[in-house]
Amino acid sequence: VSALTRTSELDAGSGVACDSDHCITCGDDGVPMIVLATDDERGLALCDDEGVHASIETALVAPVIPGDRLLVHAGTAIFHLTRDGGQG
Amino acid sequence: MKFVDEFRDPELGRALAGEILSLVEPGRHYKLMEVCGGHTHAIYKYGLDDMLPSNVELVHGPGCPVCVIPMGRVDDGIAVAQNDGVIFTCFGDMLRVPGSEGSLLEAKAAGADIRMVYSPLDALRLAKQNPDREVVFFAIGFETTAPSTALTLKRARTEGVKNFSVMCSHVTIVPPLRALLESPDLRLDGFIGPGHVSTIVGARPFEFIPADYGKPIAIAGFEPLDVMQAIVMILRQLAEGRCEVENQYSRVVPYEGNLRALEVMAEVFELRPHFEWRGLGFISHSGLKLSAAYSDLDAEQRFSVPGVRVADPKACQCGEVLKGVIKPWECKVFGSGCTPERPIGTCMVSSEGACAAYYNYGRFAREREVV
Repeated sequence: VSALTRTSELDAGSGVACDSDHCITCGDDGVPMIVLATDDERGLALCDDEGVHASIETALVAPVIPGDRLLVHAGTAIFHLTRDGGQG
Repeated sequence: MKFVDEFRDPELGRALAGEILSLVEPGRHYKLMEVCGGHTHAIYKYGLDDMLPSNVELVHGPGCPVCVIPMGRVDDGIAVAQNDGVIFTCFGDMLRVPGSEGSLLEAKAAGADIRMVYSPLDALRLAKQNPDREVVFFAIGFETTAPSTALTLKRARTEGVKNFSVMCSHVTIVPPLRALLESPDLRLDGFIGPGHVSTIVGARPFEFIPADYGKPIAIAGFEPLDVMQAIVMILRQLAEGRCEVENQYSRVVPYEGNLRALEVMAEVFELRPHFEWRGLGFISHSGLKLSAAYSDLDAEQRFSVPGVRVADPKACQCGEVLKGVIKPWECKVFGSGCTPERPIGTCMVSSEGACAAYYNYGRFAREREVV
């Protein structure tokens, strides 16, 4: 998946929402997501969580490449699971 | 297999329950506080408290970002949202938090343009899509969420988005923990430390808990086995006479935290002299505001904010719940006057709130026990 083909999706909004079970943003949840495409110039990545796509800030964990797994909270990747994830 | 499946294994859970049983001294009562609302939610959702011996008590701490927002702050948000031309944005749970004259959701029904967003980046995107409107993001949350707001403010500055501002109600986790440890009406034996807050701040900020107060703490993840293992770690420290910061969640919590996140927070925010917490009152240096360099993007500078302190409803005992002094079901209005559908107090709003978590997952078991 190239960055160019997904640029429009990067600008389309998070596509992720709170559900009736809980609010993943308010709840300090971290959601593991897989990088589909990157826009390094803008510091964004198009990420996937089981079919739900979101545009994610990557400044805290860069560099990222497609296929990387990131821990995402409130639209921002807070931890690079592929590169730094331990087994603790 | 998802990232989490291996942390929900029932057999391993039962083994950890057995280990907990082997570590407790008969006749001794253990009172452990789970700091984070995410842990409270996991404990009730998976029935973890039912797997513990009766002398291990879990006390629910102040780590639900929605539950600690005082009514006056909601009123401030509504006042900003009612300005002509404003699109007011916030996270989902914040919409239902009661202010003195209703919630943001009720203000929306009355005509204010209030929208739920998943991230501050979504709010910035709205600003770019609506250049003739003022878009305000109501920022709440602990250190997990604050970097996201900080990065969005930097992005707004870089991209020259002038019609975007932030009403900052971010809070920090250490000051309320210190306030709780100083509280005379609460005796705790140890802490289950917050997971994703620690991904950002690291384990180091919690060293004061063993150093100054002689209590053990284990930073924990949010899956059932994470929480159970953290309880084992705390009880083992107590059994061995140790007291230190242990990191059960090392798979995503580096000891030093995320240095880039800490840097961007230091650039964009500064500590308020004091900030009001629901039920806990004013706590020094516990809230964040925008730094002078970003004051032009501060909604409280751009709009008039009442800033009036509003007392909690008399019937509501959220403060005592947040301090762990009473259990959710011991509140006078729990499940009767106050329900997730019609909350009086903030602890019943967010499912990470102790009252809502208990109402949703534990209420009927408790009723059986009482009968």
